[in-house]
Amino acid sequence: MKDTFRGGVHPRERKSLSREMPLRVYNAVGEMVFPLAQHIGKPAKAIVKKGDTVTVGQCIAEADGFVSANVICSCSGKVKAVEKRRTISGAMQECVVVENDGLYTGTSDYSVRDNPDALSVEEIIARVKAAGIIGLGGAGFPTHVKLMPKTPLGVKYLIANGAECEPYITCNDQLMRAYSDEIIEGMEIVLKVFPNAEGVVAIESNKPEAIAAMEKAVQGHDRIRVMALRTKYPQGGERSLIKAIAGIDYPVTKLPADVGCIVDNVGTLYAIRQAVLYREPLFRHPLTVTGEAIANPCNFIVRDGTSFAELIQAAGGFKDGKEAVKILSGGPMMGVSVSSIDVPVTKTTNAITALTEDAVERAERQMTACLHCGRCTTVCPSGLMPQMMAEAAEIRDYDRYEKKLYGLDCVACGSCTYICPAKRPLTQTFKQIKAEIMARKRAAAAGGNK
Amino acid sequence: MTNALHISSGPHFRDRWTTSFIMHTVLLALLPSAVVGVLVYGLHALFIILASIVSAIGSEWIFCAITKRKLSITDGSAAVTGMMLALSLSPSVPIWIPIVGSAFAIIVVKCLFGGLGKNFVNPALAARCFLLISFGNAMTVFPLAADCVTSATPVALLAQGYTVNITQMFLGTTNGVIGSSVLALLVGGLILWGLDIIHGEICFSVLAGFTVMMGLFGGQGFDPEFLLAHLCGGGVVMGAFFMATDYTTSPVSRLGQLTYGCLIGVLGALFRIFGHSADSFSYSIIIANLFTPMIDTYIIPKPYAYRKAAIKKANHVPKVPFWQQIPKPVIALTLITLLAGVALSGAFAMTKDTIEEQKLAANAESYRAVCPEAVTFEGNKDAADAIAALEGGVYGTSFGRSYIHEAVIGRDASGEICGYVISVTNGGGYEGNIKFSVGIKPDGSLASIAFTELNETPGKGSKAAEPAFIDQFKNRAVKQLALNGAGDNGIDAISGATITSSAVVNGTNAALDFFRSVMQGGN
Repeated sequence: MKDTFRGGVHPRERKSLSREMPLRVYNAVGEMVFPLAQHIGKPAKAIVKKGDTVTVGQCIAEADGFVSANVICSCSGKVKAVEKRRTISGAMQECVVVENDGLYTGTSDYSVRDNPDALSVEEIIARVKAAGIIGLGGAGFPTHVKLMPKTPLGVKYLIANGAECEPYITCNDQLMRAYSDEIIEGMEIVLKVFPNAEGVVAIESNKPEAIAAMEKAVQGHDRIRVMALRTKYPQGGERSLIKAIAGIDYPVTKLPADVGCIVDNVGTLYAIRQAVLYREPLFRHPLTVTGEAIANPCNFIVRDGTSFAELIQAAGGFKDGKEAVKILSGGPMMGVSVSSIDVPVTKTTNAITALTEDAVERAERQMTACLHCGRCTTVCPSGLMPQMMAEAAEIRDYDRYEKKLYGLDCVACGSCTYICPAKRPLTQTFKQIKAEIMARKRAAAAGGNK
Repeated sequence: MTNALHISSGPHFRDRWTTSFIMHTVLLALLPSAVVGVLVYGLHALFIILASIVSAIGSEWIFCAITKRKLSITDGSAAVTGMMLALSLSPSVPIWIPIVGSAFAIIVVKCLFGGLGKNFVNPALAARCFLLISFGNAMTVFPLAADCVTSATPVALLAQGYTVNITQMFLGTTNGVIGSSVLALLVGGLILWGLDIIHGEICFSVLAGFTVMMGLFGGQGFDPEFLLAHLCGGGVVMGAFFMATDYTTSPVSRLGQLTYGCLIGVLGALFRIFGHSADSFSYSIIIANLFTPMIDTYIIPKPYAYRKAAIKKANHVPKVPFWQQIPKPVIALTLITLLAGVALSGAFAMTKDTIEEQKLAANAESYRAVCPEAVTFEGNKDAADAIAALEGGVYGTSFGRSYIHEAVIGRDASGEICGYVISVTNGGGYEGNIKFSVGIKPDGSLASIAFTELNETPGKGSKAAEPAFIDQFKNRAVKQLALNGAGDNGIDAISGATITSSAVVNGTNAALDFFRSVMQGGN
């Protein structure tokens, strides 16, 4: 197999800001906010009410249906409210708000280790579900659902995603360096669910220390190997990894399991190990606070519900004279810009990036008409024709967009927008047109049911 | 903590390259050929380049001002158009030519169709063709380069079967346009290719298509010297690297780019082989430009996941035969191109023989008319050498634009010389060329003349063929004729067709002069 996918871009990495900073645990002091919808699927249902006393590791909202996930309290204290609060997306969402007493009393210190060999597949999945684990890579797909594909025997690859291709972010690099054995243990647990699968730890070549650490950790594990991938965005995307490792391209209508692959972030695998061996639910995870506007960029293990403002303070606050013009949840390629730093960290927040310069604003000034240079076509990891898609989107030719140009297969990685010399907002247009097409489909389906 | 954080949809990072960076890089890549052009052809070439660029930028500025559009001259695309036009002009054109051309390119071809990224043909090429058609005289005069002896361009010479100096063509020190240095163009073009600014799919398929077509149908096989001479001349390199690769007017997909490139190469070679215009390459690119929307409509590559191999890998689908995997439009396009090529060459091949036969017949007929006693005509070495030395150029200085084609000796049944025939064309006719044969008696006096090509105005110039005029040329024992002359060498002009009459007299005088100085002396 080649060590990469077709297309892609290579943005400035900017990882040196924080890449040598080891993970350190940050215990929040302020109020903690837990949105009920942190995952893909139905929001969880709150099972606590105002005035209730809660402890660390307690489930405060239960999964509602199959594709949903529990929400776990990461501190101890009293429930202040169950109300709408502003979240990362900018929208007001239902949240459980807990007044943190700072004591972090919990039901367990999670030190009793169970023997993994004694656990059945059903028990493993049940523990993952109870722990409220979702994909920590960004999308937040409930992990217990991923562990139950139609044909578990057909899964050929379990891919541990340690690519971390987003610029700036380094927390998984540090996680792999410090907890390599734990991640491999997590992989071994998942490999029990998929007996025919081979484990592959996929890491971009710009993280030699993490590659060395993982290489050392896989010694003696016959079913697992480490693979260094070319440093190229979006190498850490599910499809890119499957292309690089299994050599398969698959349409957007299929799931990785349909082509015999399961992809889990290394952070998720670490969480699976904690949940299955120590019954520790997911309430804390690695996170990088970085960017040119941050005084001391660093990597934390943070508790869910902590506010952005508090973490920025924990990283030394803003640098003097460096005004943050844009703050992102995540990295600059697929991250979301936040309107306020009084929003809580959720399970899928892997970075807070504070930028001193807004490339989008500059791009809007430099924008010209499309040159038809074809750079977007060259970099698209799915082999789409972004330039033609943009033309179809402009005149709202939904049919051409969807059927002729396969526009719905766009994964919104942003490579085309990144590379465009004319600075056209391509990805943004595609997100918009996709939402419109989906809305039309729903409307058509609703009309048919009348 | 700031009060107003910027909110926008991702990605929040952008590559450094901008439209203006790309355009200015292209401009820099054109600089070597511009410098060579100025060094070889002198300061006037520099003025042409500057005038062209200034006019291009100015036109865009004026258009933006009048239509109240955002000023777009900073993106550098107007300057690139101006530069490309200047480099494809002859270094002797008057300064107003690039000014008018650039204004046409920017205003008519680019801005009126919506500006950057919306033009349907390459603006610089369109302007060049516009200038060629509108101001042909001013455009086609190529000056003498420093150490060059002929006035035709190398490609024009190639078309006439002459050999050319490839080294000079490669360096750009021979007759041609300002940007004719293949070396300098290659330097710039390869840099652009290396930087991924131009698509290798286009430039190399143009060159490949052209070379293969030239080798197959050029009549000299894959003779490296012949192919190199054609590749180095007539703007092939300029076209392949700078004109055909224009983003807006070339297809987006790789397969489309290959199709488009081959189309240009094949058409360019066909025009070069069967056409007579040294500018044929410009037309082939413009025609391919017009095909681009069609190529982009039919050749849309499927995303990786939907290609046959990927589906097979994901689902284990049985193999599909190769010929079914070729998109139908590609087959259709290929067939159309092939058919067009075959039809073109077929039509030419058929008509070519007929035209040649007619010419031969007309020649033979006229030869016999002016030298009726002759049974056979034979060539003369002195005359042939003298004609070759003219290299297709004008004969003498006092006969207008007279060209000598052939000079033969007529022999009667007993093998004795009974006269000479000289085939001559005078370009000074009212409707262009007049071709006729001049019969000369063994003693050097004029026997008679007979026309082989006379396309003069009916009722006026066409009267030249009538006895009243043409019989005046019979049996004149004079060295030179004079139109409306009072002496014994006078010829009365046709009433209302002095130009035609003068052309015939000039041509006849040229033939008489040629006979005396070359053939009579030689005998």
